[in-house]
Amino acid sequence: MIAEVPTLAIDLVEFTENSTVLNDEYIAHRLGLIPIKYEDPETSRGGDCHGAFMSHRNCSCEEGCPRCEVELELDVNFDLVAPNRLEHDADLPLTITSADLKSSNPSVMPAHFVSTDEQEEAQDQGISIVKIGPGQHLKVKCKARMGISKEHAKWCPVAVATYRFEPIITINEEACTTLSLEEKQELVEVCPDRILALEGGRLVVAENAMEMATFTEELKVTQNLMKKRPEDDDYVTVEHNMNRFIFSVETAGAMDAEEIFMSSLRVLKEKLNDLADRLTVIKEQGE
Amino acid sequence: MNAPERFSAFLLDEDIGEEKITYASDTKVSNAGTFTINKEDHTIGNLLRMQLLRDREVRFAGYKLPHPLIHNLGLKIQTSSSEHQPVDVLSAAIEDLKNETDELMRLTTIAMDNWKKENYQ
Repeated sequence: MIAEVPTLAIDLVEFTENSTVLNDEYIAHRLGLIPIKYEDPETSRGGDCHGAFMSHRNCSCEEGCPRCEVELELDVNFDLVAPNRLEHDADLPLTITSADLKSSNPSVMPAHFVSTDEQEEAQDQGISIVKIGPGQHLKVKCKARMGISKEHAKWCPVAVATYRFEPIITINEEACTTLSLEEKQELVEVCPDRILALEGGRLVVAENAMEMATFTEELKVTQNLMKKRPEDDDYVTVEHNMNRFIFSVETAGAMDAEEIFMSSLRVLKEKLNDLADRLTVIKEQGE
Repeated sequence: MNAPERFSAFLLDEDIGEEKITYASDTKVSNAGTFTINKEDHTIGNLLRMQLLRDREVRFAGYKLPHPLIHNLGLKIQTSSSEHQPVDVLSAAIEDLKNETDELMRLTTIAMDNWKKENYQ
């Protein structure tokens, strides 16, 4: 459901001045891909913009209003900035970054960095848009709207979203008594995720095995080689637990991971509600 | 040139009066019918199908997307008796899913609050 979580992204760009080396649509494309963060003024969290904004298609205004759009402005002229730059930098190209975008809504701003560590390591002040030289000027007015990833990937809040099943690792103690210490050591080492460990000569499940297991084949193959007869029981079995999932969500910067998860549940609920309402109409028609 | 608008993947086409969900009762098989859900995809289709299969009154439940470029899905349901019509069984399934989603939201919030308490001391 992470293709349907609504976020904000720049949708319309009006160019007043563009004497840069990149053409208008190129810059507009780059502006659209900048992740835009909405911070709820009360809780100041990387928030779900769904409550604060509405889709511009449903909004009753004709042209756009603060309820469905946010205006962002950018005006950078190399010649005006040059006097303020450091001596040795004066001739180098100036990078226009997302930090130069000025928003009309104080709760809405581009997500320049994902974390403070990245901010300290970076050389620029934000996401770079275009580099300009002497005599070049970029002046644009952007309108950011709410949308979902189904319409365009710029509205996608996640970088990666995956899930896997939790493993059930069972160690057959009886069968393990027939193994020598070297064989047990081999089983511990052959698994690339290291889900087994040796404790006092016994095979046990490693501490962080639940998060690390990726259901590789090595254990099974090695065990088959060790078994005296193919029909023997396995020493260690790793199965999927079909009732427990581990979801991994990596955000692209516009929303926090937990907000994305809660938002996706909310979107699912809205879909179900909508269907339920329409179904009651059908039911009534049938009767 | 021929490309449809991207929003036609998830917005109902009002020009032709598209309804979200329509029902056609099956003429040859008893207690069966097909629901056509417009502007939806596997997200809802698979979820409803799996929930329907958990219902004892459902004899057959399946969904398909007739064409990947046309964003509709067909959900075929057959129930085991005429007391439980496909419509009833589907609305019961949706109700159960709604409750499950609510429960999941509630438990997630509790779990996240607990984690924050433990980790942000």
